[in-house]
Amino acid sequence: MDLAAAVARTALAGERTLPVAAPLAPLLPDGALVRGRTVACQGVAATSLALALTVEATSAGGWLAVVDIPWLGVEAAGELGIPLERLVRVDPGPERRQVWADLLAAVLDGFDLVVTRVPAGIGQGTLRRVRSRAQARGAVLITLGASDGASADVMMHTATVTWEGIAAGHGHLRARRVGVESSGRRVPVPRRVDVWLPGPDGTLGVVGDVGPAAQARHCFELRPVG
Amino acid sequence: MARRFVTVWCPDWPVVAAGLPPDEPAIVIRANRVVARSAVAAAEGVVAGQRRRQAQQCCPDATLVDHDPGRDARAFEPVVQVIGRFTPRVELIEPGWSCLDARGPSRYFGGDEGLAARLVAAIGEVTPAAVGVGVADGRFASAIAARRSGAGLDGCSVVVAPGGSPAFVAPLPVAWLHQLGEIDAELVGLFARLGLARLGVLAALPAADVLARFGPPGSRAHRLAKGTDDRPPAGSEPPQQRAVERVFDDPVTDLGPLVFTGKQLADELVAGLSADGSVCTRLVIVAETEEAERTERVWYRAGGMSAPAMVERLRWQLDGWLGTFANHAGDPDGPVRGEERAGGGGRIRSGVVLLRLTPDEVRRDDGDQLGLWGGRSAADERATRAVTRLAGLVGDEGVLVPAWRGGRLPGERYDWVSATSTDLIDADDTAERLRPRLAGPWPGTLPAPSPAVVPAAVRPAELVDVAGRPVVVGGRGELSAAPVSLTIDGGRAQPVTAWAGPWPLDERWWDPGRRRRLARFQVVTDDGGAHLVLAEHRRWWVAAWYG
Repeated sequence: MDLAAAVARTALAGERTLPVAAPLAPLLPDGALVRGRTVACQGVAATSLALALTVEATSAGGWLAVVDIPWLGVEAAGELGIPLERLVRVDPGPERRQVWADLLAAVLDGFDLVVTRVPAGIGQGTLRRVRSRAQARGAVLITLGASDGASADVMMHTATVTWEGIAAGHGHLRARRVGVESSGRRVPVPRRVDVWLPGPDGTLGVVGDVGPAAQARHCFELRPVG
Repeated sequence: MARRFVTVWCPDWPVVAAGLPPDEPAIVIRANRVVARSAVAAAEGVVAGQRRRQAQQCCPDATLVDHDPGRDARAFEPVVQVIGRFTPRVELIEPGWSCLDARGPSRYFGGDEGLAARLVAAIGEVTPAAVGVGVADGRFASAIAARRSGAGLDGCSVVVAPGGSPAFVAPLPVAWLHQLGEIDAELVGLFARLGLARLGVLAALPAADVLARFGPPGSRAHRLAKGTDDRPPAGSEPPQQRAVERVFDDPVTDLGPLVFTGKQLADELVAGLSADGSVCTRLVIVAETEEAERTERVWYRAGGMSAPAMVERLRWQLDGWLGTFANHAGDPDGPVRGEERAGGGGRIRSGVVLLRLTPDEVRRDDGDQLGLWGGRSAADERATRAVTRLAGLVGDEGVLVPAWRGGRLPGERYDWVSATSTDLIDADDTAERLRPRLAGPWPGTLPAPSPAVVPAAVRPAELVDVAGRPVVVGGRGELSAAPVSLTIDGGRAQPVTAWAGPWPLDERWWDPGRRRRLARFQVVTDDGGAHLVLAEHRRWWVAAWYG
């Protein structure tokens, strides 16, 4: 018998959650990722947002599976702070719609965090089954894109995205301000937080929270490129 | 005078436990590495620790079985019960390997040889496996003796005369220290590089010098190499008050809650011991049921046990014990002495009401046991198992992990390699895979942040100026006009709010077939999307998104 299963049944409240980076915590109803729940990420910066949600939990020893997202940028994941040794990508192959549910069932058995996108044409019944599997196994399911948004426990949307460090013809992309809104079944009152994704110092942060050192570098440093 | 120990070792126990016939090629795999193999496979060149692919190359028609420590423990239970008839105190090191104090039973059964022969005969009645029995002064020497007898002729035993252990181990290679003495592989490698290839050479060094040069682990290795007991001269007295126990109001019959409680107890115990700066090397695990049925086992680990290691042993023990309940094993053929009585009876009629962990022997914590047994977390185990299962669903090429390749464009910097062909847990392996030590810097890469969306293939794009004419890149990378809108793959034209570049790239100019000459730009559109745009072959391409 699996230890995880044994723990899941008698787990205390603190063990039912996975930690999340402090800047994103205000967006989640419990200030953390609750095991068994689903989070939908949408908008222009959805991929980075989904990765950012997993940073703390993977750093603490959790494993991240990325299902059916072959275009994931490994380097971006590493820069956000995800330990790449616990990142596994799963490709469903050409018949992704048929195998997606079975694949997710197997993935949810072994991984604490699963980032995926719901293929078009997946029925509500299948989705419900996948979600209850996540609940039984105590994994957090994060979906990208629009098709699952309505039924997720928490829906996150990168409403506004502003890039810093780049102008008309000079500079380079350095930092990104993202206004993230969360809503959904578990979030009765929609919330909004402006985060650096990433900030001028390369890490996640709350806008307005940037330390003087980082700000100074942000203004004056010219990094050699090219 | 060092204590004499008898070690009973069943070679390649996981193969036996899996129920595979010993005369057929069989390999037991865990995390893509060979854990154990049958004698036939061994003859073909399969060795423990080998990667699965290599093992299959050596021995293509071998049966492959996944490793299941619980199964190993359950299968070993009858053997432990048999050994329990010889002495009340059997120390288990792991399934397939146990150790007992030779003094009492040896005198009772007519000497070391007589005891060894009786043990071999008795164990042979309950398992078809080959058995190695070694008798020597000190645990380490007796373990080596057992290995040598187990690897040699079936069922024969090696008895080292009293006081003969130093001479017995002296000509042996230092690698045994890592294999059986739980000395760090790096330290053992260092010994070998320094020319201390044999245990005798190491043992000949002055103890103080070894301690000064290699620290406490080196000192421990030195004591082992001398072939006597590995216990330090001033062996710590067992702190009995440290025992932790839990009494259940409602009897528990499931393994799950017991293991969970055991985890709490182990954490408590390890926290208490580490506050004293000590670590438990011998642990007694006791469980009792409502009707006073009882299992008591002594677990030994030279390197000390972390909390997960204690939980692992608890699970092995209880799995075997509760398993006898489920299987309705018959009475063993003979009376069972001491604490093995209940386990030997094999019928648990009621639920467990008491669980107790007692540290029986502790030693000072040298801080070197990390990563030996506690290094692999439950999450790691689950994930590796899931990877194997997923590979069965979508094939080896469908389950991938990143591997560093290096390059100046985002898609080039990491490759995806099959997860089943790599070791996902080994720290050295993953470090080498993700950022090899020899990987140099890549001048000319764009600074962080990197794009989060990197499609396998670039997409054609159009970049036009304010008059609607395509923007053209000159020979030195300069643009004919400022871009105003970006169209990707014939889609909607998106207004450009900011852009930067060019960052020219001229790669492999010496190789006409693979030369790449291009200019990179970053283009931000009005929706906040940022794109990595390439100008190559007089066309625009979008290579990645900062999604």
